[in-house]
Amino acid sequence: MVNRPPGIPEDAQIASTGGFNHYVGPLYRLSDAEDGAVKRFAFAAAEQHMNGAGTVHGGMLMTFMDTSMSRTSRLISGATGTSTVSLTCDFVSPAKLGDVIESRVRVTRRTRTIVFLSAELVADGRVLMVGTGVWKTSGTE
Amino acid sequence: MNAAPAQLAGYGETSLIDPFEIFVGPVFEIGARGARRFALPIDARHVNMRGVIHGGMLMTFADLALGQAAWDACDHAPCVTLNMQSQFIKAARVGDILEVLPVLTRRTRSLMFIRGDFEVKGEIVFSVASVWKLLGQD
Repeated sequence: MVNRPPGIPEDAQIASTGGFNHYVGPLYRLSDAEDGAVKRFAFAAAEQHMNGAGTVHGGMLMTFMDTSMSRTSRLISGATGTSTVSLTCDFVSPAKLGDVIESRVRVTRRTRTIVFLSAELVADGRVLMVGTGVWKTSGTE
Repeated sequence: MNAAPAQLAGYGETSLIDPFEIFVGPVFEIGARGARRFALPIDARHVNMRGVIHGGMLMTFADLALGQAAWDACDHAPCVTLNMQSQFIKAARVGDILEVLPVLTRRTRSLMFIRGDFEVKGEIVFSVASVWKLLGQD
């Protein structure tokens, strides 16, 4: 078995295969919830993710938000590529070193070329960040 | 210390404290306090599999640059991001230099409204509006 940080399930799949996601990762995909209506992702907050105040940097939380929502936009649209068009993030509460941060992504609407998503980041049952965004799809499988 | 690339002659390296910003940096700046312009030379770490800068890196640079502007505006009082609205207008790539001059729209006793248009070669590729909270102020 692959080693996973504490709190990341053994069956979690690596979701950060290359590029910036790999550099800041690993990021994981967890099993779906609510009969597939909620796509779930996770990462464990490590030293390099922190800010000077000892909490997880907002840029890392927004990166995880964008990655988990972008991945969801591809999963549900079948598109080979999607691009974030707009993303709004509310910084609800801070996260700390070692927290396992989970993203729960829901689809609001999907049209032929546009996907509307909402998501929340949670740790220990506490909401850290709420996000809503719009994705443009390109190419279909 | 990292030297600024040749295209950023006259710029100095921004002093960073946050481990995550040091991890994804360096960034460079020019101008006086309260009117600093920030620049990110995009390298291979910052991009996705298509060679385009990752949205997370754009938002991280926005949090960094607009946060520095917030700090200038509140005399280094502790403040945190409350909200960030991001528009991803055009792809930027490895080798591009992303620049922003943050604009303080309004400061109240406890809040700061700061926006920024991020440009590559004078063309806006990313645009952000953000709200910041001064800690300890009602």
